[in-house]
Amino acid sequence: MTKNLLYKTSKAYVLFSVLLLLVSAPLFYYSTKKLYIDETDDTLILHKNEFVKFTIPTLKANEIANWNKYNRNSKITAFKNIKTDTLFYKSYHDILDNEIEPYRELNATITIENKPYTYMGRISLVETEDLMKSIAILFLSIISLLLLGLFVITKRLSVQLWKPFYKTLAQIEQFEIDKSNLPQFPATTIAEFKRLNASLEKLIVKNTSIYRSQREFIENAAHELQTPLAVFQVKIDSFVQTATFTENQYQELSSINEAIGRMTRLNKNLLLLSKLENDNYSQKQTITIQEVIHKNIDFFTEQAAAKNITIQLHLTENPIVQSNPVLVEIMISNLFLNAIKHNKVGGIIEVNTSHAALFFSNSGQSKALITDKLFNRFSKSNPSDHGNGLGLAIIQKIATTNNWTVSYTFEDQLHQFKVQF
Amino acid sequence: MKLLLIEDEKDLANSMLSYLTTNDFVCEWVATTQAAIDKISNYDYDCILLDLMLPDGDGFSVLEQLKKQNKTEGVIIISAKETLETRIEGFQLGADDFMTKPFHLSELLVRIQALIRRKNFNGNNLVVFNEIEIDTLSKAIKVKKKHVAVTKKEIDLLLYLIGNLNKVLSKSAIAEHLSGDMADMLDNHDFVYAHIKNLKNKLKDAGCNDYIKTVYGLGYKWQND
Repeated sequence: MTKNLLYKTSKAYVLFSVLLLLVSAPLFYYSTKKLYIDETDDTLILHKNEFVKFTIPTLKANEIANWNKYNRNSKITAFKNIKTDTLFYKSYHDILDNEIEPYRELNATITIENKPYTYMGRISLVETEDLMKSIAILFLSIISLLLLGLFVITKRLSVQLWKPFYKTLAQIEQFEIDKSNLPQFPATTIAEFKRLNASLEKLIVKNTSIYRSQREFIENAAHELQTPLAVFQVKIDSFVQTATFTENQYQELSSINEAIGRMTRLNKNLLLLSKLENDNYSQKQTITIQEVIHKNIDFFTEQAAAKNITIQLHLTENPIVQSNPVLVEIMISNLFLNAIKHNKVGGIIEVNTSHAALFFSNSGQSKALITDKLFNRFSKSNPSDHGNGLGLAIIQKIATTNNWTVSYTFEDQLHQFKVQF
Repeated sequence: MKLLLIEDEKDLANSMLSYLTTNDFVCEWVATTQAAIDKISNYDYDCILLDLMLPDGDGFSVLEQLKKQNKTEGVIIISAKETLETRIEGFQLGADDFMTKPFHLSELLVRIQALIRRKNFNGNNLVVFNEIEIDTLSKAIKVKKKHVAVTKKEIDLLLYLIGNLNKVLSKSAIAEHLSGDMADMLDNHDFVYAHIKNLKNKLKDAGCNDYIKTVYGLGYKWQND
């Protein structure tokens, strides 16, 4: 699952905060409580010690009832046979509040006039509880605010910090190696992003130059081949005039001739692709697709007739495009010739139009073509056919030059190429 | 007909010269722009074949010179480097036609003939061969003064065949001629047979001699016996 960077960091923060709160709340509560109880216990023991030290020497046995009467939180009761001082919780009914309220109590054995008694000292925990609650709430609020603050700051900061990264990303997404515009990375003060931008820039510059030199190489090679090919062609043209040959010899000459022809076509198509890549056909005008089809339909009908193929035009809609007329013509011619070449004898070609698309369907081999390399240069469905494997590459290139898309489907035994304008 | 060939590739020039000379052309050949400018300053030609990439500069200077001297020679540019810009520049400087290397000699020949016909427009748009008469403007054929109904493509084919009188023409050369701009994409040349057959039958029905000879294994030939 892909989520953006901020989501992932934020998720970690939120998880940590919640976990921390969950763990720290009880921990804090109990540790505060323990501290307070310890403090209370100390106070109780202190009270007892004070009582033993200052009150007992002057207290008489008959004064005990009186003493108890004036001390709400300390009592002297009959001896309960406790050996050491004991501290415990105990609840008393409070008459004023009419509530059961918690107390911390100390029981200790004391001696008054040589008789053992039990001393009871208690401290109400009501205030403690309230105090503790207040402290806990305060503390938790501070922690929550702290975490929230941290979270918000991190988020803000992240957005700010990652900004150059997202800008770089957007630039790279826009980048196409066969287009001349190089990405302009935003200046940044963050070392990592600076490094990233620098390496990307280096990578792009290097690859673009490699790509360019390869493109130039293809173009130059194709151009340089034109002259020797011309010599070749012209020599064979004039050689056949020099004498009368036997049929076998003519057949040999014909094979040579065909081979030069194939080479010439291959070369010209490579040049066409180079020119497309160099944007040599950038001049655009309004073109009606029907017109282009009708212009050359006689030629294609004638070509189809050689294989007894029927062409059916269903041009219900008339897409109008902005493009270079030469390119549109080349594309449609290639679509037609492709549909003829890969058709079977007696097959059909259907040409359909929709509002903004052109469809070429043709009968042919009974299984779908392998699509992943279909539009690549020199990829042939049948390696032995005489085509140069550039037809579909040219169609594809013309489409991309115009921001159109070409797709292939196989349905009802028909191979369909769709150009979406 | 006088023709000047400006081409620095010797092998190419030789073959072009020998092919064209046998078809009633008087050809002169130079290999540099300087030599070409000398020639056009001193002589008149019916047609000039101009290569654009020459050792001492580009062929456009020859076109500029022609313009400067108010010469009206027909010029066919023959270039290995074909871009839209060079084409446009060539036409703007007064070139009449543009051919890209490699090309068929038969194609070159009919292009020259067509150019000369266009240039001598006021006189003659008729191509006459024995009993056949072709009006290249109205695209009509007469055999023995009688109109024969043929398609545009068949007239084109007939002009091409007659233009290359007594030359052996390969099937692929004919196919490339007939398919024009589409030639670069077309790799099946079987349709030539159908066209030849149709033309042959139509001429035969009109009482024309059978000039189209089949060169078995290679192609066809328009032969005047």
